[in-house]
Amino acid sequence: MMDAVDLTFVDETVGRVGTTADKVLEILQAIQSHYGYLPREALERVCETTEITPASIAGISTFYDQFRHSPAGKHIIRVCVGTACHVKGAGQVYDAFHRHLKIATGQDTDPAGLFTVEKVACLGCCTLAPAVQIGEITYGHVAPDKVAGVLEDFLRHQEAPAARKRAAASVAADSEGELRIGLGSCCIARGSGKLNEALNRALQETGINAAVKHVGCVGMCHQTPLLEVVLPSRGTFLYARVEPEDAKPILLRHFKVQGLRKKVSNTVSHLLDDIMVKEDGDPVMRYAIGVRDKPVADFLAKQKHIATEYCGVIDPVDIDEYVSKGGFEALEKCTRQLDPEEIIGEIERSGLRGRGGAGFPAHLKWAAVHRRPDETKYVVCNGDEGDPGAFMDRMLMESYPYRIIEGLAIAARVVGAKVGYFYIRAEYPLAIKRMTTAIEQCRARGLVGPDVSGQGFSLELKIVAGAGAFVCGEETALLASIMGQRGMPRLRPPYPAQKGLWGKPTLINNVETYALVPWIIRNGGEAFAQSGTRTSKGTKVFALAGKVARGGLIEVPMGISIREIVEEIGGGIGSGLRFKGVQVGGPSGGCVPAKLGHISVDYESLTAAGAIMGSGGLVVLDESDCMVDIARYFLEFTQDQSCGKCTFCRVGTRRMLDILERLCGGEGRKGDIEELQHLALMVKQSSLCGLGKTAPNPVLSTIEHFRDEYEAHILKRCPAGKCRALIRYSVTDECIGCTLCAQRCPVDAIAMRPYEKHEIDTDACIRCDTCRKVCPENAIRVE
Amino acid sequence: MVRLTIDDRPVEAPDGATILDAARQLGIEIPTMCFMEGCSPSTSCMLCVVSLAPSGKMVPACATAAEEGMQVQNDCPQVRAARVMALELLLSDHAGDCMGPCEIGCPAKMDIPEMIRRIAAGDTASAIAVIKEDIALPAVLGRICPAPCEKVCRRNQLDEAVSICLLKRFAADADLASAAPYVPPRSTAKKKRVAIVGAGPAGLSAAYYLARRGYDCTIFDDRPKPGGALRDGVGQDRLPHNVLDKEIEQVLRLGVALRPNTRIGRDESLDALCDAHDAVFVAIGKTTPEAAAELGLKAAGKGVAVDGATYQTDRPKVFAGGDVIRNRQLAVRSAADGKEAAEAIDQYLCGQPVTGPEKPFNTRIGQLEASEVEAFKHCASTEPRQAPPQVHAGFEKASAIAEALRCLHCDCRKPDDCKLRMYSRQFEVRAARYKGPRRSFRQETGHPEVIYESGKCIDCGLCIQIAAAEGERLGLAFIGRGFNVRVAAPFDKTITEALAVAARRCAKACPTGALALKQPEG
Repeated sequence: MMDAVDLTFVDETVGRVGTTADKVLEILQAIQSHYGYLPREALERVCETTEITPASIAGISTFYDQFRHSPAGKHIIRVCVGTACHVKGAGQVYDAFHRHLKIATGQDTDPAGLFTVEKVACLGCCTLAPAVQIGEITYGHVAPDKVAGVLEDFLRHQEAPAARKRAAASVAADSEGELRIGLGSCCIARGSGKLNEALNRALQETGINAAVKHVGCVGMCHQTPLLEVVLPSRGTFLYARVEPEDAKPILLRHFKVQGLRKKVSNTVSHLLDDIMVKEDGDPVMRYAIGVRDKPVADFLAKQKHIATEYCGVIDPVDIDEYVSKGGFEALEKCTRQLDPEEIIGEIERSGLRGRGGAGFPAHLKWAAVHRRPDETKYVVCNGDEGDPGAFMDRMLMESYPYRIIEGLAIAARVVGAKVGYFYIRAEYPLAIKRMTTAIEQCRARGLVGPDVSGQGFSLELKIVAGAGAFVCGEETALLASIMGQRGMPRLRPPYPAQKGLWGKPTLINNVETYALVPWIIRNGGEAFAQSGTRTSKGTKVFALAGKVARGGLIEVPMGISIREIVEEIGGGIGSGLRFKGVQVGGPSGGCVPAKLGHISVDYESLTAAGAIMGSGGLVVLDESDCMVDIARYFLEFTQDQSCGKCTFCRVGTRRMLDILERLCGGEGRKGDIEELQHLALMVKQSSLCGLGKTAPNPVLSTIEHFRDEYEAHILKRCPAGKCRALIRYSVTDECIGCTLCAQRCPVDAIAMRPYEKHEIDTDACIRCDTCRKVCPENAIRVE
Repeated sequence: MVRLTIDDRPVEAPDGATILDAARQLGIEIPTMCFMEGCSPSTSCMLCVVSLAPSGKMVPACATAAEEGMQVQNDCPQVRAARVMALELLLSDHAGDCMGPCEIGCPAKMDIPEMIRRIAAGDTASAIAVIKEDIALPAVLGRICPAPCEKVCRRNQLDEAVSICLLKRFAADADLASAAPYVPPRSTAKKKRVAIVGAGPAGLSAAYYLARRGYDCTIFDDRPKPGGALRDGVGQDRLPHNVLDKEIEQVLRLGVALRPNTRIGRDESLDALCDAHDAVFVAIGKTTPEAAAELGLKAAGKGVAVDGATYQTDRPKVFAGGDVIRNRQLAVRSAADGKEAAEAIDQYLCGQPVTGPEKPFNTRIGQLEASEVEAFKHCASTEPRQAPPQVHAGFEKASAIAEALRCLHCDCRKPDDCKLRMYSRQFEVRAARYKGPRRSFRQETGHPEVIYESGKCIDCGLCIQIAAAEGERLGLAFIGRGFNVRVAAPFDKTITEALAVAARRCAKACPTGALALKQPEG
């Protein structure tokens, strides 16, 4: 029997947060983080002490994925099942955790109550796929046979006494140089936090006088952690994939050690050489790369940084630096020189279209809210980036919070809003933290508050943390969520510009849209419109991930071809397999096959190809990816994320998924493809909101471009060798009997027979793919 | 005011009116389930989708504002297809039977669960009224029927079927033994004459239901006493003649005339009968094609040839039913034929198209999952099947009630005012078009006024709105999300706690049988 729940915390939270109905999410989040779940008593207590009704709290607390209603294990393991992770085997990783922790079927917590394993829609660390988050730590490239190691590492980390915080070296006036270290989520997950500590330690030990500078995402997520050494006199040196123990040798290579320590310098120099030669493979690639090196040059050459201006240079939360690089000039201009009509005119000239997905012209939305006579209006920033396989908005919020705030403040000035909301996914704690810090800094500078820049207009900014519901990316659902309701979309019209938050006109734009605004105001709409195509102007930020050699955050001019992105920026397929296509636009998008790689990246061309621009997730697929499985994957996602309001989406997507599961499970029947198409067209046509109307896209586009794969599945064959029910593993004559596969097989389906050809017991085999991955001779066949 | 067209008919609607409002002005009916006047539109069921020309955009009429120049299509293949799919999708996630398997299994489609509820409540007198809606000779059938209803009873999945046949016999015997046996309400006299040939189960049944409808009926039989095969083909140990006589007496009491010892085809010709009557129903029992030909009727394999739905023979105004058309030797089937033919004859005599009885639309759960059997168990007694004191005996009142309490009540409480069922029939949908995971059958019977079966819920949320508007302290909520969303009380509380004041209104608003009144009104 559980102990009675101590409700003091609930009362304190209510006292701190407030008692109005719209506070429900914040209160629930606090309760969940305090108790680890939502105890019934706590919820009832909230209803007694606030305006929140039992019906409302029950509805809301069961709507969002974030909330648990039963106690969880001591630590939560979140296995990312985003698109990039899915294509790299996240399902097998999830199963492996379950197996390793001996979690019973239908349960999510191990018998000891130490770990709870959950799936999470997307951690937004797509370049680390498959990614797993345990507590605060993110692990990248997790394979089924590595889960034991990951858990061990995590527990070790827990046991270690908390590392003493060292004061970061402040920017000294007489600094001999600067050490730039990326602290985006991906970088931290790959160890840039530890590297940061090691650098500070090394600086203290050596007495080197250099400033450590934190910069946002550099975009080269495939190379993280990155360390850039900037020496005023001698240029810039970029080190990739730096380990904490490399910090000192790198410092000693570039900086002179004061006084007595000179001797040490020589010794350590040798040490550095040691490391560089003893490393197998390509030591230069692992450590020092120059911007002039070809891969880096290629990665950067085709890009154009507007939303990501000063990428890898600017400290995300340093407001002075932002100001020193032209920050808030645009806001200043908008408050002092331009009237709202002029600003709207500039936006119109830029041709800016909403970057959230649908591409609605920004100036029309702005003008619509501006025109409304209402006294009260709102501006909202949609930072609920829920698409699996997308991490653009996270990177922008983590790296350029001031730019987004500036863009939103300009919009508020134009439409006459006094309150602005940032709705940010709870899965992005770092983004929330940085945005919070940035808003505080702005407030301290008078850039937000009762009298912005002394210009007599007031602007209050608030952050609302989402609670795990993809559908809240839909604008009417997002507004409902801000108001403390279930995130249910509603019929439009009325549009938010007419009736938004609390019935008032509300401007809602995506993170990237706002991030582009300051540049447009500073450089003029025409300068922005110089990039891009006739209908799609400027740049677009993409999260490039999947089977590409160099994944990361990229910003490219509209009109660039898919092939240029994949092959030139991304360096082609990492595995050496054939490029099959790209999935653009996530669950609302579609797959563009390799043969259409020449098409231009703009709103119209992508839609014509059966995909959509979407928010910018771009997952590259190779020939080992099964398109039926991809469609199934997305339908599983949308089906799970449907709000459940309208019949077509709630039940229709489920029935589509039934057919796809049947196909992937080897139970496809003649007529399934036609039935699937029929359902898909009707769901697309008759669903109430954008989620349902676009949910069939992944199915329709894969049927259109890869129909032969669907037909093969009806004949119980998976050409890509992906669908577990349709494939079997066997050992070829190449086997040298090294027993590696037998050792790693999690279900003992391979008998240990040294120096003999191994055999796989097909009945016992769970198709986890571990044997194929570990085999040094390529002797595992999948068919 | 805005001007628009619906199915090319112009209409002027006030500002703020919806497409649905505008359609009503024109008298165009747009089907709705989740919409209710006075509640805000749920836009959930999507049955009211209409298409907007020329874009082809599909919108829910209940919530879409009528706009100037709109061209709304309500009656077109695209809209129809969408509505059919909406219904078929909802039915694919529907765990509930429109009718209990017993009712469907009963050839006479008797409302068995309702009869059982009345017996369980000790109201034997009203149980007979339920029975006689569909079965004219319940005391007889209660003794000889092989009870196809019991073979499909859901209680079989638990232990043994409810003893339906004996319960029917109990109610019928009690009625016959009473001072004033039940007489059904009779329609006003129609001044039309129907001749019924044969006083067996089919003929007696047809006479009973035609007489109730106000027709002047005469039964012709070649034997001295009525009953046909019931008298000659069943031993008195099973069916004592006094029971048969008493029950036939109840038929004749309705004003039905009996002409015994009259053989049609010998003593009187069919032609003459036809001349003297407005319709003729031939129910002479087991026959041969030769005998049929002798009567002057077209023959088929098993006797007289009829249209399967309407019981019409090849000869105008002559109908036929019972063993004369099928030779099943199943009294309840013959009785059902008599009742159904009576309906067809009524249509014929009223000058309506003769279609026979309407085929009801039914969704069926099929085999129950283990958890569903458990859900059913909660509202039924756990006693084993009651046995009568000796062979060929019936129940005493106490044992009848005990047996009635074993019924799982898997029928729907809103068989006639469920919108889902009504529109499913209207749009001729296929209930089992889509198969896949579906919600489970659940039943909450604790509330004094209403019964809640979440398996039948279509997630429209009307009850949630009403409960909130009526100021329920607890109320109802959508629990969960997506395909798994359910309407339920917060904090796992019961419907009794959730609906302290709004239960009746919620049940009346519910478009399906999910929330239903325990005692139908009126």
